[in-house]
Amino acid sequence: MTKRRIPSLLASAALLAMLVAVSAPSSAADLRVGFTQDALTLDPANHRKRETETIIRNIYDGVMTQAANGEVLPELVESFRQIDPTTYEAVLRRNVKFHSGEPMTAEDIKFTFDRLTKDKAMGGETSPRQSLLGPLQDTIVVDAHTVRFKLKEPWPVFPRMLPVQEVVSKAWVTRVGDAALAGQANGTGPFRLVEWRRGDSIIMERFADYYGGTPAIPPAGPARVDRAIFKIIPENASRVAALLAGEVEIINEVPIHMIGQIERSGRARIAKANGTRTFFIALNVTKPPFNDVRVRRAANHAVDKKLLIDKLLGGAATSVAGVLSPESFGFKPGIREYRHDPEQARKLMAEAGLSGGVDVTIDTEGAFKDQAEAIAAMLTRVGIRAKVQVWEGAVLTPVWRAQNKTRDMYLSSWGSGALDPTGIFVPTLKTKDRGNSSGYSNAEVDRLLTLADGELDPAKRADMYHQAERIVAEEAPWLFLWVPQDIYAISNRVRGWEPGSDSRINLHRAHFVN
Amino acid sequence: MRFGVVLERLAQLIPVLFGVCLVVFLMVTLTPGDPVEIMLGNERSTPEQAEELRRQMGLHLPPHERFFAFIGNAVTGDFGRSFFHRRPVIEVIAERLPATLELTIVAMTIALGLAIPLGILAALKRGSWLDRVATMVSLAGVSMPGFWFGIMLIMLFAVHLGWMPVSGRVDYALEVPRLTGMILFDSLAHGRFDTFRDALHHILMPALTLGLAMSALLMRVTRASMIEVLQQDYILFAEAKGIGRARLILRHGLRNALIPTVTVAALETGYLLGGNTIVETVFGWPGLARVIVEGIFSRDYPLVQAGVLVIALIYVGVNFVADLLYTLINPRVKL
Repeated sequence: MTKRRIPSLLASAALLAMLVAVSAPSSAADLRVGFTQDALTLDPANHRKRETETIIRNIYDGVMTQAANGEVLPELVESFRQIDPTTYEAVLRRNVKFHSGEPMTAEDIKFTFDRLTKDKAMGGETSPRQSLLGPLQDTIVVDAHTVRFKLKEPWPVFPRMLPVQEVVSKAWVTRVGDAALAGQANGTGPFRLVEWRRGDSIIMERFADYYGGTPAIPPAGPARVDRAIFKIIPENASRVAALLAGEVEIINEVPIHMIGQIERSGRARIAKANGTRTFFIALNVTKPPFNDVRVRRAANHAVDKKLLIDKLLGGAATSVAGVLSPESFGFKPGIREYRHDPEQARKLMAEAGLSGGVDVTIDTEGAFKDQAEAIAAMLTRVGIRAKVQVWEGAVLTPVWRAQNKTRDMYLSSWGSGALDPTGIFVPTLKTKDRGNSSGYSNAEVDRLLTLADGELDPAKRADMYHQAERIVAEEAPWLFLWVPQDIYAISNRVRGWEPGSDSRINLHRAHFVN
Repeated sequence: MRFGVVLERLAQLIPVLFGVCLVVFLMVTLTPGDPVEIMLGNERSTPEQAEELRRQMGLHLPPHERFFAFIGNAVTGDFGRSFFHRRPVIEVIAERLPATLELTIVAMTIALGLAIPLGILAALKRGSWLDRVATMVSLAGVSMPGFWFGIMLIMLFAVHLGWMPVSGRVDYALEVPRLTGMILFDSLAHGRFDTFRDALHHILMPALTLGLAMSALLMRVTRASMIEVLQQDYILFAEAKGIGRARLILRHGLRNALIPTVTVAALETGYLLGGNTIVETVFGWPGLARVIVEGIFSRDYPLVQAGVLVIALIYVGVNFVADLLYTLINPRVKL
């Protein structure tokens, strides 16, 4: 070996040693979430994405918030009440500051809601969230700490839509311009944005002047960790690996087949919450064979949902007899579920004159192929000879949304983040509504849904939905399936956060134990 | 090499890029699925709101008008606004491209660093155990799916041994100086060695996953080409003249044998730029390929069009540089 080569060899060895030694500059008081998708924007008014909302909601607070059990509670306001069928009044908390240091006033609330609901109010564009606020017509400043929301018509679901709208500062937005909100943030939430490394991570730190959040969910006060970081890890196996390697403390969308691995590791626990999506197979009631209610009931009797939930969904789903998730407003037990009874199914098929069987196709997207195939096998056993056709979502959805229904069965789902029937029951089962895939139409159901939409007495309103749900269960325009649970894994060192039915990860109260 | 020839070659790239634009435009336009419907999703909206959204996205215009508007704007560097990111596409690409370029450069360095020496050794010791091992390893490298190999690396080096980070480009607590967006380069330029070290640490596993698969192919090409060159008369003549072994192999043999390697390396660079979605996903690498695939599923036409165009631009650029390199490696080659 010549002398010249020695320094270069030494340099290589040093480089290698440097690489193998793990660097750990991150602090122990930082809470890291391994999350599936990056935010599309940080502008609370300029997106329609649940994952974006989840991230933004740690920086921005809303007029109202939602507890893990689904209850809607005042957040930035001390009180929120309805003063007539179309008017709500909110009195603001006095001590709320934006991250920029400016106090929040009624003008900011008005500015926020005008930006969401008025045409072209967002730097010349109209907010894609406009339709989420339904008939909200105007936001009126009564005094510096009081605002009124004026609706065009009664809309009882209004308070439930408020936790997903975040308040921005009028002065700040005017100063930086609407476009800047895509990448900068100035909220009233428990964390302040430090840096957004797009596609990689969103880094936030505790906001020292935080007013403390709603006192209704104790403990109120500033965030309990120094920093909160959302690390974007789209691949399931890598997200689980990051948790097991101690790189993150919370992960979302744990794949069912990896639950065991996480539990055995002894480092983290699994936490589940009922999701907001109801899964069903829409049966095309406008043509044979599913225009016959007996065939639809036969299909419902043919499927062993318990077996499917246990074997295919790892037990992480709740069977539903109708449309509404058990967490939803208006859900009441007592709707009779079609029990698994192939004999009864065959009998119903014979009554419908189909003892020789019938050929049908189940349409679905790739992600649900296994479930569709298992269901097809069960249906085939009772004479509904089903085959599965897998489509891409962007192509399949319009086929089933069209008013002219040509296909047989559609394994699909519908979600309502606000957990209110108006967001799921009305669109999927009211005559000709936007998501009515089965082509179902029942005058009584339509009447009840319309009445309930404007009914201000919650008990009466819940009753109306329950009556409608009974009719739907009886007429079976769907093969009723389940509400899958959202599955998270949480490090054993973390306390103060449990998943709720709104799929949000609010880290305000999360902290470490020693 | 005459300057005029280079200019002529550059001019030939224009129809190629126009063709790419046309094909991509037709593909995204003809693919079924409506971006407006995807955007509105399941939420309540009136036909007027849908129409307004369609107008904002420019989708109310007939396809040929959209195409020429796209070309006309693209020439001035304006690629339109992303439907889903809701800001100029060029911003989205500018944020993601450096990560992809950085990963490509490191992966290619690993690939060439392994392939050329191993290819030469395998050619020199043809039929020996070394040759067989190299051939077997290369076969394994070519046949191993990237996502599987990547996850195996993660399980071994990140989860069990704890030596390597699972995902991302650099630790969130480290300051990242801004210059080109390529963290390795930027941190060195600013003398931030802690950031450089951490970024190197993060890039190693994804770059190895890509680089090993690539080196397998490159090694086989180098070996085959080297074997052919070593059988040429001029090598025999040089050997007879008594030239030292190292000089014989490197100057007379390798230089001539490298042309196919350079060609394949250039083609593979194109593959790395556009085709490493899987590796970017497995390692949470915020690159361009991942954002384009997300764009395809959400029918984000402007993003997909511009993203593919940028990749095509780099691809033809790299192949053009490869052509120039031939003339440097072997002056007898004329453009």
